[in-house]
Amino acid sequence: MNAAARHSMSETVLEASGVTMVFGGLTALNDVSMTLGEGRIVGLIGPNGAGKTTFFNCLTGLYTPTRGSVRLRGNQLPSDPAKVTVAGIARTFQNVRLFPNMSVLENVLVGRHIQMKQGPLASLFHGPGFHRVERAARKRARELLEFVGLTGDENTAARNLPYGDQRRLEIARALATEPAVLLLDEPTAGMNPQETEAARQLIFRIRDTGVSVVVIEHDTKFIFSLCDSVSVLVQGEVLVEGSPDTVRDDPRVIEAYLGKPREEVEAEVAEARTTVIPRYRDDQPGDQTEVIERYREDQP
Amino acid sequence: MSRFTALVPRALGRPLSAIGGVLLLIAAMLPWATFLLNEGAYPDKATLQFFDAPFELTGFRWHMLLFGIAGVVITFVPLLGKGRALRALGWGGLAISVVSAIFITSEGGGLGAITAADGAYAFGAVAGILGGLALIFGAGAVGIDDIPHWPDAPFGWTGWAERLFSWAVLLVSFVAMLWLVSETLTAGGSAGVSSPYAGAVFLAFLGMAGGLLGALHGVGFTGWISRMSERHRAFSVVVLLVCAAALPFTSAGTQYWMNVAGTIGIYAATAIGLNIVVGLAGLLDLGYVAFMGIGAFVAANLSGATAAKLGITLPFPVAAVIAAVVVGVFGVIVGSPTLRVRGDYLAIVTLAFGEIFTRSAQNNIGDLTGGANAIPSIPAIAVGGLEFNEPITLFGTELPAGVMYYFLITLLVALVMAVFANLKNSRIGRAWIAIREDEDVARAMGIKTGKMKILAFLTGATLAGLAGAVFAHKLGTSSYDAFTFLQSVTLLAAVILGGMGSIPGAVMGAALLFVLPEKLREFEEYRLLLFGLALILIMRFRPQGLVPDRLRRAEFAGETAEGKSIEAVQEQAVIEQEHELEASKGGKA
Repeated sequence: MNAAARHSMSETVLEASGVTMVFGGLTALNDVSMTLGEGRIVGLIGPNGAGKTTFFNCLTGLYTPTRGSVRLRGNQLPSDPAKVTVAGIARTFQNVRLFPNMSVLENVLVGRHIQMKQGPLASLFHGPGFHRVERAARKRARELLEFVGLTGDENTAARNLPYGDQRRLEIARALATEPAVLLLDEPTAGMNPQETEAARQLIFRIRDTGVSVVVIEHDTKFIFSLCDSVSVLVQGEVLVEGSPDTVRDDPRVIEAYLGKPREEVEAEVAEARTTVIPRYRDDQPGDQTEVIERYREDQP
Repeated sequence: MSRFTALVPRALGRPLSAIGGVLLLIAAMLPWATFLLNEGAYPDKATLQFFDAPFELTGFRWHMLLFGIAGVVITFVPLLGKGRALRALGWGGLAISVVSAIFITSEGGGLGAITAADGAYAFGAVAGILGGLALIFGAGAVGIDDIPHWPDAPFGWTGWAERLFSWAVLLVSFVAMLWLVSETLTAGGSAGVSSPYAGAVFLAFLGMAGGLLGALHGVGFTGWISRMSERHRAFSVVVLLVCAAALPFTSAGTQYWMNVAGTIGIYAATAIGLNIVVGLAGLLDLGYVAFMGIGAFVAANLSGATAAKLGITLPFPVAAVIAAVVVGVFGVIVGSPTLRVRGDYLAIVTLAFGEIFTRSAQNNIGDLTGGANAIPSIPAIAVGGLEFNEPITLFGTELPAGVMYYFLITLLVALVMAVFANLKNSRIGRAWIAIREDEDVARAMGIKTGKMKILAFLTGATLAGLAGAVFAHKLGTSSYDAFTFLQSVTLLAAVILGGMGSIPGAVMGAALLFVLPEKLREFEEYRLLLFGLALILIMRFRPQGLVPDRLRRAEFAGETAEGKSIEAVQEQAVIEQEHELEASKGGKA
């Protein structure tokens, strides 16, 4: 409810409420909620293993949440990645996962799959309608390649692209499904500052076309300069949620994600230096319990 | 090999390859055997000296002569890709010499047969081997560069000029290809085991063909032709069909070779069907021949053969359609486990299906397969009173029996190729390839992977069923032992050998796998050994297959689709990035 109220200025597109994901005895996500407004960019940050990608997988139907629900424009999402994509959510992957031996253009055309309706017979006989649809798909695919800034040879195998271009191609392929919501899993991992800046501009341009975006990132500078709102996920729970400014200054976030403030760390280090750490000496086995007890007393 | 050839200093490259060329020339003129072999003169005039019969130079010595001249000329002509061309010529000459040397030695009872014995000298093979090696090493020193990229249209021609020029070039190339195919089939005797030297002559001919094609590829000619035929696809298809239809009018137009060519065609059609399942959708099927078998048995039962239990006689087109539909249903049944199992496990499921079929057919299940007796005397296909197994006269030429089957099978192959090509270049084909590349991501793109995989099985099975129906009629009998695991593996080998996902590849693979055993008959007990050796060598030196798919070719060769080396492209990208970085640093400072 709170989250919804905060985003009341724009219509809610994607709403995850109380998503809990349990693997055997491990609770990967605990009661995670998130709201994405129309034409917004929401960031998801958190230390490694916080459950960011698990949350993404719950949004895209790869996992079915143990509890809680994910709604797109008020409709419960099916638990099947193919159907989720049809419903209007597209994603990229943390480690780029293109179709390596297909050409650049073909990769985007695969993204057009759900937008094309040719059945087996039309594909077999290549009637006049077939060519019209095919031409339209190619035209749109080329537009998208240009949109993400891939101007090189469209017939190169995707595996031969430089790394940054592979990331862009993945985004073009996701956009080809004409999604309402785009989920980007660490879009700037492994990029240099120039490429990161280009990615930021690209995400803004995607937002401007009316697609709402959720971004997972490690690069906090990147996320704070990009997002309308940021959620911090720690150990499977939302620690803080709010505008980049509130999140940035929240001491809990600084501690959980960025580490403790500098003065505190320095004090700790100084204290550690003065503390005598007792050593276990194996030539005096009798001393063992005494040493341990002394050590415990030394601890605050 | 490049490790060793790199040992030769660059300055020695030209002299060495020139010497190689001259040695091949000399080898062509020298006698090859010191005495007349028991079986008669080793092919053509090879036991004689060139000087005895200068104008009767035929067979492999003629090829050696041409290779020698080409080697010398290419060495001194400024030509891009000459290193590759020389290397291919060297391998060709070496192959011809080694095959002949081994054969003469084993037939003649010792090394004396190819060196000196009883006062006679025959150093042709030795000179040929040395010449081949000199060319290979010389080529390495000359330098193996990138394959040159010929401009698509000469003189900047466009429109009709370009079109007419391309058509003329394509026509000549395809006719040359027809000649090569016909010569390859008939090399060493046009009626099978007529010549005791057929196997050796055939292998030597293959060496020549390989060297020739390799040299043309090395200088960029085949790439140019293949791009041209892609641009003028409709024209190429028509010319190819005409060429295929013209094969019976060449020297290969004997009953025996029409029969072999028909069998190859059937296996080629089946291999293309398998290529959909394995090459496009990436689903390993080890029991594929069962689909062909079911098609054959359905057609046999509907043909009116006396041994058929059903006793229904239907005209062939109807029976073929029914066979295709029935097999399609089986395709869906076998395909359904693919929803649950992947990779190796799927291979085991399909293997089991193949075995179930073979064992059921062997045990005459439902009295439909004839068991060990098979279903014999299936009548020949007859259309309008024309029996397909009778000789016919066409354009005043008497064509041998079986030629009608050859034409029918040519049509079948063309149909299967069209199905494959159309599906591959469509939304469904792309979905299949996406599943092969990364099934999870394919799902994330909205592809209903289960449906698509079953569709792949359905299509592949239907095509195999059609091929099986023709097969039963052509053979006149339908027996379980024509559809065993061995055939499945051979078909799979044909697909992989030719190049996964490529149509000409599947045809080439099927041709090689079903011609080679036929041609190597006179080696008897060594036949399968040689066959296996040939497969190992091809896979070692050409893992991407003989005629690979465009992108796959790039993948294995370490090249981009345009033939640039991947390393060069990546280096270029790094350099550009560094420039950008420097520029941005400069901007900040």
